[in-house]
Amino acid sequence: MECRVLSIQSHVVRGYVGNKSASFPLQVLGFEVDSINSVQFSNHTGYSHWKGQVLTADELHVLYEGIKLNNVHHYDYVLTGYTRDTSFLEMVVDIVQELKRANPNLVYVCDPVLGDHGSMYVPENLHPVYKNKVVPVADIITPNQFEAELLTGKNISTEKDAVEVMDLLHKMGPDTVVITSSDLPSRLGDRFLVSLGSQRTLMPDGTKSTQRVRMEIPKVDAVFVGTGDLFAAMLLAWTHHYPNDLKTACEKTFSVMHHVIKRTISYAHDLAGPGRKPSPPQLELRMVQSKADIEDPAIVMEATVLNL
Amino acid sequence: IEMECRVLSVQSHVVRGYVGNKSATFPLQVLGFEVDSINSVQFSNHTGYAHWKGQVLTADELNVLYEGIKLNNVNHYDYVLTGYTRDTSFLETVVDIVQELKRLNPKLVYVCDPVMGDQGSMYVPENILPVYRDKVVAVADILTPNQFEAELLTGRKISTEKDALEVMDLLHQMGPDMVVLTSTDLISPHGDQFLVALGSQKMVRADGTTSTQKIRMEMPKVDAVFVGTGDLFAAMLLAWTHHHPKDLKAACEKTVSVLHHVIKRTITYANKMAGPGKRPSPAQLELRMVQSKKDIEYPAIVVEAIVL
Repeated sequence: MECRVLSIQSHVVRGYVGNKSASFPLQVLGFEVDSINSVQFSNHTGYSHWKGQVLTADELHVLYEGIKLNNVHHYDYVLTGYTRDTSFLEMVVDIVQELKRANPNLVYVCDPVLGDHGSMYVPENLHPVYKNKVVPVADIITPNQFEAELLTGKNISTEKDAVEVMDLLHKMGPDTVVITSSDLPSRLGDRFLVSLGSQRTLMPDGTKSTQRVRMEIPKVDAVFVGTGDLFAAMLLAWTHHYPNDLKTACEKTFSVMHHVIKRTISYAHDLAGPGRKPSPPQLELRMVQSKADIEDPAIVMEATVLNL
Repeated sequence: IEMECRVLSVQSHVVRGYVGNKSATFPLQVLGFEVDSINSVQFSNHTGYAHWKGQVLTADELNVLYEGIKLNNVNHYDYVLTGYTRDTSFLETVVDIVQELKRLNPKLVYVCDPVMGDQGSMYVPENILPVYRDKVVAVADILTPNQFEAELLTGRKISTEKDALEVMDLLHQMGPDMVVLTSTDLISPHGDQFLVALGSQKMVRADGTTSTQKIRMEMPKVDAVFVGTGDLFAAMLLAWTHHHPKDLKAACEKTVSVLHHVIKRTITYANKMAGPGKRPSPAQLELRMVQSKKDIEYPAIVVEAIVL
């Protein structure tokens, strides 16, 4: 396989978020990963302490210039996630646009990280940048329910709302949208959360067809960090192998997540001891230990195709 | 059985390609090691390309990152790994960190590639030599100098195998129990298409006396300049001495074999990309790391180390 990804995300010395979460799994699946580290921190910000340095928009540009001067700015994918700085994000958009001119088939996978459960955890001024500049150049986006609502200005109370929101997001740019988690009630009960996906394809006769899927995901009683980054990376990988089959791509992606999370939670509980809540260091994803599951994920859930 | 082994690797990061941490991290992760990585620089690519751009980490910034790890009480490592460094205060800070980590874990193994130059000339600032010679080597456990670096560190010239063995003994006296002379100008019995590498491991017998195992390997020369192979070598020597702690012969055979497979795959690909009769470019000669995953996991042994 000859497939090159430019991933612009955080680097942590210890643990698995951002580029640390995305690179190893993609490399294990045979992707060449060029990574620009938007920050270098000791660890993610859920620990008691964290320290480090951030990359400015200018420094990002300088790194990209180096790649361009060598005429190696040819990528099949761009992948981005958590960003806190509007000028940095705008520089990313400029880079994506230039890379798309160099390769019109480039696929930009964007996790529009803005917040969750009703509140933003990035500066508010990122919202218009995502809405007006980033999402229009994205090909695959992975918002959670809150982010999907923010980007479209529409609330999601029912599955019908969610489908309409995904259609609105398609209109804004991306042909593939996955709402990674929602508050919608699951048919399997309240130990499950609902995820939805939508993929728009151009038919030979020029019309557009949309495949929509729903997945019921078992809830886990722990806070994981880096799972969204792993999700976006694995969705990149599995849509690469199944470009017209969102159902299969999602089944593989969510299954990888399941295996990694299950291994992580077992280990975390072992370390914490009976009756104790595991700490952030103990809850770091068991990424390296999950290599076999990443390479060849056993499918543990079935995506339902919605007939609308 | 899951391995629980944590490496702190302090090396360069390049956006594109495989040197420094990019060269060391993936192979170690693939072999099941947890790799915490501090990026001493972030450059677009290695400095053998026509152009390169990026930013360097200062000694203070290195300290800040380490402080973050320490404040969370997760400064517990089994290995430290370092390579190419240009800044004396950065290197001195590394030594301070290694000493502190060794106080916390007296069994910590510091694998050090004392990168200073090759073929008779230095390619780092001259004032790095006294720092390596007087401070770094003293706390190193495994050292991977080439002939030139070994000569610089000991002040002794190597013209014969006997000289080389004496130099390795001198290096043992300076600190490390394991020394591998990764390449030399010594004449190979197999002819001038081969180069000679030597290794020496000091061990303590049950009765308290010390003995050394010394080995020689002949490696086929390759008609190309590779970058990042030294970093891969040090990382894989770390991995295979971990699995063969008292068997330098086995550890070296595995390490050198991995290098062989990666280099062979790389040169084949590079020549194909360049086309007949054309010399491959630095970009084309980037190690085929991701494609070599299986060889990294299960290296077929292609070289025999002779016990001297």
